[in-house]
Amino acid sequence: MSVPLPWILYLSSALFSIGVYGMLTRRHAIGLLLSVELILNASVLNFVAFGRLYGNVHAQAFALFIIALAACEAVVGLAIIIGLARSAGTVFVDRLTLLKG
Amino acid sequence: MPHAPDPALMLPASQLAWIPLLPLSAFVLLILAGRRLGALAGWLTVASLAGAGLLTARIAPAVFDGATLTLRWAWLLAGNAGWTFGLAVDGLSWVMLAVVTSIGTLIAVYSIGYMQGDARFSRYFAYFSLFCASMLGLVMADHFVLLFACWELVGLCSYLLISFWFEKPDAAAAGRKAFITTRIGDTGLLLGIFLLAASAGTLSFRDLAAVREALRPELLTLISSLVFLGAVGKSAQVPLHVWLPDAMEGPTPVSALIHAATMVAAGVYLLARTFPLFTPESLALVLAIGLATHLLAGTVALTMTDIKRVLAYSTISQLGLMMTALGLGAVSLAMFHLAMHACCKALLFLGAGSVIHGTHQQDLAKLGGLRRTMPVTWITFLIAALSLSGAPLLSGFWSKDAILLEARHVNPPVFWALTGGALLTSAYLLRLFLRCFHGSPSPDAQHAHRAPFIMALPLAVLAAGAAGVGLVGTPWAGHVFFRMLAVHELHEGIEWSMLALSGALVLGGAWLAWTVGVRRRNLLPRSVRPLGSRLYALAVNKYYVDEFFNGTIIAVTASGARWLAWFDQRVIDGAVNVAGLAGARLGFGHGWWDRRVIDALVNGLASVVRAAGIAGRRLQTGLIQQYLLVVVAAAVVLSLWLRP
Repeated sequence: MSVPLPWILYLSSALFSIGVYGMLTRRHAIGLLLSVELILNASVLNFVAFGRLYGNVHAQAFALFIIALAACEAVVGLAIIIGLARSAGTVFVDRLTLLKG
Repeated sequence: MPHAPDPALMLPASQLAWIPLLPLSAFVLLILAGRRLGALAGWLTVASLAGAGLLTARIAPAVFDGATLTLRWAWLLAGNAGWTFGLAVDGLSWVMLAVVTSIGTLIAVYSIGYMQGDARFSRYFAYFSLFCASMLGLVMADHFVLLFACWELVGLCSYLLISFWFEKPDAAAAGRKAFITTRIGDTGLLLGIFLLAASAGTLSFRDLAAVREALRPELLTLISSLVFLGAVGKSAQVPLHVWLPDAMEGPTPVSALIHAATMVAAGVYLLARTFPLFTPESLALVLAIGLATHLLAGTVALTMTDIKRVLAYSTISQLGLMMTALGLGAVSLAMFHLAMHACCKALLFLGAGSVIHGTHQQDLAKLGGLRRTMPVTWITFLIAALSLSGAPLLSGFWSKDAILLEARHVNPPVFWALTGGALLTSAYLLRLFLRCFHGSPSPDAQHAHRAPFIMALPLAVLAAGAAGVGLVGTPWAGHVFFRMLAVHELHEGIEWSMLALSGALVLGGAWLAWTVGVRRRNLLPRSVRPLGSRLYALAVNKYYVDEFFNGTIIAVTASGARWLAWFDQRVIDGAVNVAGLAGARLGFGHGWWDRRVIDALVNGLASVVRAAGIAGRRLQTGLIQQYLLVVVAAAVVLSLWLRP
């Protein structure tokens, strides 16, 4: 008994939309980072779903790569956030207007 | 005497140029580096003049043999025609060279003492050298153009030296007066030169005899009268004599050299040089002017109380005598008197300079009794005064009596007038002498100091000259002077009647000087005394010539100048101001256009760009979420639009 493909795609679309919505609305940098994780995981879910459909294992390899990449990205992102907290004294991204013209 | 002169004695003609060049180089050196030379400046001038004198002496034998030494060079050649000009020395020039170099040297030595301590000591000697160079050039010129150039140069030096103490307003004014007055005469000379060049085509003195043959007599009369006008200005003849008395504002040695001995005699030299141009009519004019000058200036000299002014009027009077001799046709006699007068008058002026130097006083009323305090000046002044008065056997006697004798032969009325002039001469000179050196000593005379040796030496040498040089024109010395001038009709022997007359005239003059000039006795009968005092007023006011000029020519010129100044200020300046105002208004309008239109366009463009920038800048907030929103919105729109 397997989960039908459309359901999985609905779930992945929902995850992606929630991620994008978080990206647009969050002010907190960690919130943003979490939203990026949601978007990445939505794409991982898509890879795995279509890999099962076509019986292809390359998709699962891709999913592993993306998870590793997401971990790296979280590390770099957190390091930037800590640096921001130290130097600018805030992690709310709308306060950070250093590049505003 | 056509024997060949000894070549060793001959001066190569090229060395002629050194005679004026020596003082000229002294001038250049002094004007460039005079300050550093200090007292040496005076000796440099003396050395250059003595050198020129030695060269003059070296050429004497050749000139005496009748040779004319020449040095010519081409100038303004155009095709075959053209002007050459150069230096030529014949007997006439040689006499002038000898006078200028010898008296110039002595006066330069005297000046070293006189100008001691003056702030512009070296400048004085620079001008002095330039004057001597120009004067030597003038008498050596063989061509009207070179002569005229030197003529103007001596005028310039005269101006510079009269107003040498330009801090005194009187001296500055006197310099201007001398320059402008002689310029009137110079204009005449220049016109004469133009006329000669246009009608005869030659300006060389060699060709004058040929010119006389070629031209019509009326034209010759006109040319020679114009040349004579130049001489009237330079030699201070009536009516252009007014500058010479004022010229006494200059240093006294300058008065001696320029305004007594040499430059003022240049007019006489000019007439002697250009004598072939003169016709009987123009000679009559010369005679009339000369005689009038001789007598009028003589009477004025009787009434002056300033030592130097007495001498200035005496100079004018003696120049008048020379002109009279020229008018009688006796060129050589005029030159003879010129040389003797140069000697005597230089000595008189240097004596007056010693008095002024010793007492700081030049008013006869404040002088007197200087005989004891200044013995050298006293004796030399006496010799000069007697010599110029014509006391027998002194230098002045020979020259003056030769002229009187000539007049007696040629024109008896002139002879009697000249006798009166001679009486005037001895009267004013001896009056000056007696009031200066005799009588009760004035306070200034008691504190007078003697002339230093350097000033006394030239006095002594000149006194010897004033006493003895005249012998060169006597039968006892074989008429050396006249043979130099190539004159061969000579009076042999001494005219004893003239000697007696001269002696009587000097004694008469001395008696008049003593009774009228010193003891103030009025010899006139009571009935003519009012007339006498009126004549005296006329003479003491110098015949109102200055007033006449002030009232006529100067007043007309001045009012013309005022009118022109008004015209200049109102019309010319007005036009200029209107043009300026128009320019300013135009500039103002242009500025308005520039600011309001051109600048507005430029600024407007800039504002548009800035406004666009301000608007565009709103887009770049720096908020990544806004950018993302745009990206997402665009993705949504694109995905809907690109839907298959």
